[in-house]
Amino acid sequence: MKNRDTRDLLGGIALIAIGIFAAVHAQQYDIGELRRMGPGYFPTALGILLAILGVFIAIPALFREGTRIKIEWKSLFWVMLSIVIFAVFLNMLGLIITAILMVLASSMASDLTWPGRLILSGCVAVITYVIFGFGLGMLIPIWPWSP
Amino acid sequence: MDVLDSLLLGLESALQPEILLYCFFGVFLGTFIGVLPGIGPLAAISLLLPITYHIEPTAAIVMLAGVYYGAEYGGSTASILLNLPGTAANAVTCLDGHPMAKQGRAGVALFMTTIASLGGGLTGVMALVLFSPVIVEIGLKFGPAEYFALMVLGLVSASTLASGSPAKGMAMVVFGLLLGTVGTDVNSGIPRFDFGITEMMDGISLVGLAMGLFGISEIINSITLKRDKKITEKITMRSMMPTKKDAKDSALPIVRGAGIGSFFGSLPGTGAAIASFISYAVEKRTAKDPTRFGKGAIEGITAPEAANNAAAQTAFIPTLTLGIPGSATMAIMLGALIIHGIQPGPLLMSEQPALFWGLIVSFFIGNIMLVILNIPLIGMWVSILNIPYRILYPAILLFIMMGVYSVNNNTFDIYVVALIGIFGYAMSLLRFEAAPLLLGFILGPLMEENLKRALLLSRGDMGTFIERPISMWLLIIAFAILAWSLFSALRSFLRRRTLAKEQAQHG
Repeated sequence: MKNRDTRDLLGGIALIAIGIFAAVHAQQYDIGELRRMGPGYFPTALGILLAILGVFIAIPALFREGTRIKIEWKSLFWVMLSIVIFAVFLNMLGLIITAILMVLASSMASDLTWPGRLILSGCVAVITYVIFGFGLGMLIPIWPWSP
Repeated sequence: MDVLDSLLLGLESALQPEILLYCFFGVFLGTFIGVLPGIGPLAAISLLLPITYHIEPTAAIVMLAGVYYGAEYGGSTASILLNLPGTAANAVTCLDGHPMAKQGRAGVALFMTTIASLGGGLTGVMALVLFSPVIVEIGLKFGPAEYFALMVLGLVSASTLASGSPAKGMAMVVFGLLLGTVGTDVNSGIPRFDFGITEMMDGISLVGLAMGLFGISEIINSITLKRDKKITEKITMRSMMPTKKDAKDSALPIVRGAGIGSFFGSLPGTGAAIASFISYAVEKRTAKDPTRFGKGAIEGITAPEAANNAAAQTAFIPTLTLGIPGSATMAIMLGALIIHGIQPGPLLMSEQPALFWGLIVSFFIGNIMLVILNIPLIGMWVSILNIPYRILYPAILLFIMMGVYSVNNNTFDIYVVALIGIFGYAMSLLRFEAAPLLLGFILGPLMEENLKRALLLSRGDMGTFIERPISMWLLIIAFAILAWSLFSALRSFLRRRTLAKEQAQHG
């Protein structure tokens, strides 16, 4: 048990950073005045408000006990990898192959057996094609040699 | 009578075969989503959004709405059988529903919650029918100041009444508002926060944000969740029959729950989840023997289920009559309406009566369909629940990707969703709520627009918000809610301090 609430502390600091960044970045847009608000007015005001709220969240967190943060690295990694696989390979390899690769990657995060994974990817790829490609008529390349 | 004429018009509109088909499809899908823990109506509606581009507007909205209130019917199934809520609003049903299942009364629980849902849903539709014209009258007097004040009220209640500290909720709302400013400013034509990337000029996509924050982070969190063993009970029609005592005990709770749900559902910022919590608390307080709660008290499931279904219906009141979404899910529904060229607001009822009343009549039809889906077909839903999550989630993830891609056929959107997904996961780890953020994101441009216009009209005078009576009252209520939540946060803080002190003295 730490003697600081790490969650709120990190969160609060992040908010302060985001708020200040937004308010500063918005200075390049015309601020205007109250009666004729420019594009920069609202973002600046929000950024300042966000930073203030961040302070109100971070300060009490210094004096409060918190629980440990547990990051599911394995799940995070495989899910992210499968999404990137989808983005990178969709136009290159087509829907079916990309779907298979993506399902294989994301299923690595669970304790599914390898035969199970392969069957799952095949089935899901086919179902996806039927629903999205065939049923909804989405314009999406199916195979590597499709236009 | 005016209302009767309108309802007949709506009936005519709703009874067309295409509408009926999409209504059925919506409630079926909604029940399915509701039954499955880990994916809720918000994710489903966001995913279906791009798909509805190809369908006629009325049918599209009827379907999406069906998904929304249908989920509140199916959500109790997993709560009762697996102690896992199907949607956030069903969390409370686990408390007494699962003990009932353990006592062998799962069938009765499932039956009674369906009846309760029907009672709540129908009450909500009636409230919708009766109160919409009144609110439209008031809404026609709304100027930009009033809209701004109402949105402030909505955001304040969303951020403070939800779980977690009010400061964190408000921070999420403000952050959402800020994210809403990304993209090309409508008034000046200047792209804001685009960082030189062309694709950023349209802003962050709604579907991408919703999917990244809710869908992806939910999946990452759920993969390693321990699930209960398989459901072995057989649910037969016979086992679902309640005793006379069950029916008698549930009558008043259903009425109370429906009332509470109808009220809180129509308030901007509060929704089905809060309504169900409050309803449970009220039942516990009014029961003759409160100790029964948590051990299988039937009032503990029927009242909240009536409440969440009533709230799901009345949530459409502010959305349709004023154009102000009361929750993140309603915000997406609003987005769907706008995409189809329908402008929700006080003028909707008069300009598009067939759509307005047709939608409301479809709610009624949908609720009836749902009773048929949930009682005889309950066996089907139970068997779906037995599919292991590790088989489901890769498919869900792929569908999410397909949904996001289908908006623009652009892989850039996928990368954005991936980034938002990481961010959403970080948020869930740090215990920051995503729903207020989404609500702020959708209301952001609207709020800015109304704020600008109000100040333009008043020539820079901030007092306009207090001088105009409706706006003043809305802001007073917002302030009161804010003050109350700060007060109770302070109270629990002080209570913790004294508890810690006492422990230190005695320990």
